[in-house]
Amino acid sequence: MTFYKEKLNHIKNTCYSNEKQINTVIETRHFIDNNFENNLKLDILSHIHFTSKYHLQRLFKRYYGLTPKQYLIDKRIEKSKENLKNGMTVTETCFAVGFESLGSFSKLFKIKTGKSPSVFQKEQVSISKLDEEF
Amino acid sequence: MKVTLISIPVRDQEKALKFYTKKLGFIIKKDAPLEGGNRWLTLVSPEWQDGPELLLEPAPNHFEPCKVFQDALMEAGFPYTQFDVDNIDDEYERLTKLNVEFSVKPTVMGTVKFAVFNDTCGNNIQIVENL
Repeated sequence: MTFYKEKLNHIKNTCYSNEKQINTVIETRHFIDNNFENNLKLDILSHIHFTSKYHLQRLFKRYYGLTPKQYLIDKRIEKSKENLKNGMTVTETCFAVGFESLGSFSKLFKIKTGKSPSVFQKEQVSISKLDEEF
Repeated sequence: MKVTLISIPVRDQEKALKFYTKKLGFIIKKDAPLEGGNRWLTLVSPEWQDGPELLLEPAPNHFEPCKVFQDALMEAGFPYTQFDVDNIDDEYERLTKLNVEFSVKPTVMGTVKFAVFNDTCGNNIQIVENL
């Protein structure tokens, strides 16, 4: 057995032995993946798993390294980039990925990607035009 | 400051280029000649071409401590770095058919499933699927 495999076994036993907890957070992540465009509230998630909102938040962060809220935002931004590339308008994109206001969408998008949704979209369009021209 | 580059030490740049493009599926982004036949050679993911670049760096041939470190990692089975995949079982099957050798078969640990293979250029590389 290599040193790496020994280390993995050790970490598995010390950090990842609670299967019930792990399944709960994995299911939570899948739930977010499949429902990110809806008005997701952690209360709903915690009800499904018969646990408290704060406990679920802590568990998620413990195993995935970020909170469910942060994960949800990343997911929505990733999806909105796809939509903008595919030609959906900024307003349509905002509501299609589950944000409730254009202001918060634009602000978060800029923080996460370094540019506003409309600038991002213009760049994508000019990149694809350039590809055609050259 | 921006994170744009991940460097991987390789013993033979041309061999590494073949492995990383033909088997792993990356594509060339930059290929510029440097002195002594060395190249500034970077690759990107086909589905994320404006994402971080992978630099295939011939450091072990020019700087002994790099070679020593790389050999030690290889012997201990430690991956030099890791890449994300959508489906680890599919990727394992695809690479195995291309004669890529795995030291760790797809294994579940916590919220990830991962595997480790030999890149034939001196490194173990880990691939990971988030569960």
